Amino acid sequence: MSAPLPAVPANVCYHCLQPLPEDGGYTVVLAEQEVPVCCYGCQAVAETIAQQNLLHFYRYRDTSNPLQVPLLPEELQQLTAYDDEQLQQQFTRHDEHGLRSINLSVEGMTCSACAWLIEQHLGRVAGVRKVQVNATTERVYIQWQPEQAKLSELLHAMAELGYRALPFQAANQEQEFKRRRRYFVKRLGVAGIGMMQVMMIAVGLYFGVVSDLTPDLQQFMWWVSFLMTTPVLFYSAQPFFASAIRSLQAGRPNMDVPVTFALISTYGASAYATIMNRGEVYFESVTMFTFFLLVGRYFELLARQKAVAAASNSIKLLPAVAQRVLPSGELESVSVSQLQLGDIVQVLPGTTVPADGALLSDTAHVNESILTGESRLIQKRQQETVLAGSVNQQQPIRLRVTATQQETVLASIIELQDLALSRKPKLALMAETMADKFVSRILMLSGLTFLIWTFIEPNEAFWVALSVLVATCPCALSLAAPTAVTGAIHKLNKSGILLRNADMLQVLPDIKTIFVDKTGTLTTGEFKLQQLHCYAHEHIDEQAVRAVVQAIESYSEHPLAAALTQLTKKSVNVTEVQTVIGYGLQAVWTPPGTADAEPIRVGSLRFVREWHPQFQPQLTAAQVFVATPETVLAELHVGDRIRPDTPATIAALQAQGIEVIMLTGDRQDLAEQVAQELAIQQVYGDLLPADKLAKVTAAQEQGPVAMIGDGLNDGPVLAQADVSITFGHAADLARTAADVILLRNEFSALTHCRDITLTAQQILKQNIRWALIYNVGIIPVAMAGFVTPYIAAIGMSLSSLIVLLNSLRLYR
Amino acid sequence: MMHDWLPALFMGLAGAGHCLMMCGGIAAAVTGTTRPWQVVVYNLGRITSYAIAGAIIAATLGGLANVAPHGLIVLRILAAFVLVAFGLYLGQWWFGLRHLERLGLPWWRKLQPWAARLRQGQVTTPGLFLAGMLWGWLPCGLVYSALSWAALSGSATSGAFYMLLFGLGTFPAMVGFGWFSRSVQQLLQAHGFRQLMGGLMILYGLWTLIIALKQLQVL
Repeated sequence: MSAPLPAVPANVCYHCLQPLPEDGGYTVVLAEQEVPVCCYGCQAVAETIAQQNLLHFYRYRDTSNPLQVPLLPEELQQLTAYDDEQLQQQFTRHDEHGLRSINLSVEGMTCSACAWLIEQHLGRVAGVRKVQVNATTERVYIQWQPEQAKLSELLHAMAELGYRALPFQAANQEQEFKRRRRYFVKRLGVAGIGMMQVMMIAVGLYFGVVSDLTPDLQQFMWWVSFLMTTPVLFYSAQPFFASAIRSLQAGRPNMDVPVTFALISTYGASAYATIMNRGEVYFESVTMFTFFLLVGRYFELLARQKAVAAASNSIKLLPAVAQRVLPSGELESVSVSQLQLGDIVQVLPGTTVPADGALLSDTAHVNESILTGESRLIQKRQQETVLAGSVNQQQPIRLRVTATQQETVLASIIELQDLALSRKPKLALMAETMADKFVSRILMLSGLTFLIWTFIEPNEAFWVALSVLVATCPCALSLAAPTAVTGAIHKLNKSGILLRNADMLQVLPDIKTIFVDKTGTLTTGEFKLQQLHCYAHEHIDEQAVRAVVQAIESYSEHPLAAALTQLTKKSVNVTEVQTVIGYGLQAVWTPPGTADAEPIRVGSLRFVREWHPQFQPQLTAAQVFVATPETVLAELHVGDRIRPDTPATIAALQAQGIEVIMLTGDRQDLAEQVAQELAIQQVYGDLLPADKLAKVTAAQEQGPVAMIGDGLNDGPVLAQADVSITFGHAADLARTAADVILLRNEFSALTHCRDITLTAQQILKQNIRWALIYNVGIIPVAMAGFVTPYIAAIGMSLSSLIVLLNSLRLYR
Repeated sequence: MMHDWLPALFMGLAGAGHCLMMCGGIAAAVTGTTRPWQVVVYNLGRITSYAIAGAIIAATLGGLANVAPHGLIVLRILAAFVLVAFGLYLGQWWFGLRHLERLGLPWWRKLQPWAARLRQGQVTTPGLFLAGMLWGWLPCGLVYSALSWAALSGSATSGAFYMLLFGLGTFPAMVGFGWFSRSVQQLLQAHGFRQLMGGLMILYGLWTLIIALKQLQVL
C-alpha cells in the first residue's frame, strides 16, 4: 500500500464526503496518510476498511458531485461530435467579437430552481460569457468564447448537474410539445376517472345516500376508493413528485414539496385507516387535488406552448430545400443547410425565401408577414436584401446569399423573442421569490398547527395540519406572473412588437414622457419631392425642368438626389455632368426651343447665386435650385412625409396624459412646422446628439422617460432612456439595441404596445393581489380547523384556476 | 404501543442517505461481487444484530422502567430528545449525536479483530452472514436513535421487532445500492431531502415529547 490515495475536496469527510463539522472532526490513518473524517462512525468504518485491505474502495470510488448524471460512453462521444465546426454551423451563431452562442433545449428542467442552478454552474465554466435560462421554454442560451471552451464541455457541465442538454432544433419542438401534452393528457385522464369514481363513493358515504350502510359495506367502499386512488397517486401525480425532488436537490424547495407531502401523507393515512378499518379516509381529496393541480399545469403548458409556438412556426416555414443556380446556369436542388455565402439561388413565385440574400433580379414583391406581422406586399429593388422567411409573390427571382441558417434576420428575431421570455420583470421575480419563501413557511406552519392541535384535539391534529398544507399551497402565486408575462409577450410578438427585455412590461406603463425623433419616426424617412416652384419661361415648362433635374441627379450620390431621380417619364440628354462638392451638379444640355447647348446647374442656393447674386427664393423650405446662366428656372423642396397614422397616435397618447416631446437635428423652423401639424407642444430643433442626450437626462429627474427614434443614429440617446423604442427595419435588427422594436412600420404600434403592456401589468397585479389575499386569508381559517382536506383542495385549485383564466385573457 | 412501529420503519427510510454514504462503500467492498443474494445475506446479518441489540436494550431498560415510577414515560421523553437530535443531525444543523456514537466505540474495538479474521477465509454464505452481523455493531448515530425508540417498547420481543423494522427501512438503501438508479441515490443524499426528513423527525420528536408530558400531567 505505497501509492497515495486520491485526494478529496477540502473540508469534506474522507469517508462519506459530507462536510466536516466546524471543529475539524477526527482523523484516521489510511495507507500511511492522515485524512480527516467527520464522525466516530466514519472513523470506525475507515479503520475497518484499512484493516481488511479494502483500500481499493477509496481508490476507485466516485468522488465527484453526487448529483451528476452518469453519461454512457456513446453519449460522451455524441457530445464530442458536436464540436465539429460544420455541424455547429447549423445551430450556433457568431458575432463580430468572435463569441459564439447557442440555444440548448434541456431535458428534466422542472422549476425555477433548476434555472438558477444551471445559470450558477455554467457561469463558472471558463470562457462562458453569458448564460440565460428560460424555464418556460426549457431552453438555455449560452454565449461563449470558442477558444476557451468547447461545446461538448458545456454540454458535459450540464450533464454534471443532472440535465441532458442538446442543441435546440425547432423541427423537433412540435414533437416535443406533443409528447408533453400527451404526458399530461394521459395523467389527467387517469386522475379524472379515478376522481369521479372516488367522489361518487365519497358523496354516498357522506350524505348517507346509501341508507343502510353496514360497517362491512363501508369498508368495502373504502377498499374500492383505495384501489381507485392508487393509480392516481402513483401515475397521475408523478409530475409533482419529480418537480419536488428536483427542487430539493437544488436546495430550494418549491411548492411541489408541500403538494407531494400532502398527497403522500393523505394517501398513507387513508390507506392505513382502510387496512385497519378505523379512522377517516380522504381518498377523494387525494384524487381531487391531483386532478385540479394537473388541470392547472396543463393549462399553463398550453399557454406556454402557444407563446413559444409562434416563434418556432416561423422557423418551420423555412423550406428545407433550395434551388441553387450553377455557374452553367442550370438549377440544382440542395438542402438549405448546405447553402454557402455567395451562392445564387432561385426562388419561384409562391415559395418562401430560404436564406437572406441580395436581390439580383430588377424588382421583387415579397410578403414579410412572418417577420413583421404586416401582410402588405413589399417591393424590393435590385441589390436590396430579401429576407429568409418572406414569401415571393410574383415572378421568379434570383438572390445572392448573404446569410444562412442561424445568421439570418429571422433567426435573430426568434432569438430576441426567446431572450425576452427568459428575462423576468421585477414584479414576476418578486412573486416567484415570495412563492419560494411561502413554501418553507407553510411547512413550518403546518408543523406548528399539528403541535397546537395535539393539545386541543389530538385525533384531528393530523387532518387539520394537512388541510393547512393543502389550502395554503402557493400554486396561484407561482402561476400569477409567468402566465401573464408569456401571454403579454405572445400578444406583442403577434403584432410585430419585439421586446428585448420582459422588464419593459413593467416600465412601459409608468412612462409619462415620450421623446420622439422626427425623421424616420414621426415621418416615413423616405425623401420625396414635396414642392416644386417653376419660374415662368417661354420655352421651358415644368415637364422640361423635371426631366433635366432627373437626368442630372441620376449622376449624383447625394442622399437627397435619390428622391429626384423619378420625377417624370420624359427624358432629355445631358452631357459633361460634373459634381461640385458642397454645391451641386453642373451639366450641359440643349433646352427645348433652341438648338444651342448651354450649361445648367442643379444645387444649393450658394451655387446658383454665383450666377444670380440677387436671387431670393420663393419657398422657405427649398433646398435645391435649378438655373441657367440667364435665369433661375425652379426651386425644389425635398422632404419626407409624416406617417399617415402619426397624428391620431400622438393625439391618443396626449389624451392619455403623456407628454410628447420632439427632438431633432433638423432646422428649428422645419421642426416647428411638423410639430404644429401634429399638435406637439415642445419642440427642440438643431440638436446635436449630445444635446439630445442632455434633454433626456434632464427629463429623467422627473420620472422614467421613453425615447423613440432611429435605432442606428440615436444610439446613445436611446441607451440613456428608460425605455428605448425603435422601428426595426427588420434588416437592421442585429445592429439596433433598443428595448422595444416595432417591426410593423406603423407609428400606431406605439399605442398598441402601450395598451398591451398596460393590460398585462393590470392582469399581473390582479393575479398577485388575488393570490396573496387567498393565501394569506386562508391561513387562519385552515389553522382554526374549519377547512377539511377536500375543501382545502377545492379552494387551492380554484384560486389557481382563477389566476390562469385571468392570464388567458391576454391570449384573446 | 404497537402503533409506534411506524416511526421505526420511517427512521430507517429517512436515514437512507446517511446509510448510503457511510456504509454504501463497505457494502460494495466487503461483498466484493455484486451478486444480489450475497448482498441480501450480508444485510440480513446486519439486521439480525440490530434486532438482538433491540431485544437486549428493551429488556433491560424496559425492565428498569417497569420498576421505577413513570419509568416508561421518562424513557419516552429521552427517546423524544434523541429523535430531535437525530433530526438535527440529518438536517446537518447540529452534530450532537456524534457524542452518542462515541459510546459504541469501545464495543466496536472489541469486535473489530473478528471482522478482520472473518475476512481472511473463503467467502461462504454463513461467513457473509457473520460479517454482516459484525457490521451491525459499527458505531452509528442512526442505529442508536432507533435503539432509544426500541427501548420504549417494554419487552425483548417488541424491542427486537422495532429494530427489525428499522433495519428493513434501511434495507432498500443498502441492498439496492447497486441496483438503484442514480437519480434515487441523488435524491436520498440531496441536502434538501435530508433537511426535510430532519424536520419531520424533529416534529415527531416534539410530538412524542408533548404526549409524554401530557401523560405526566405536566401540561
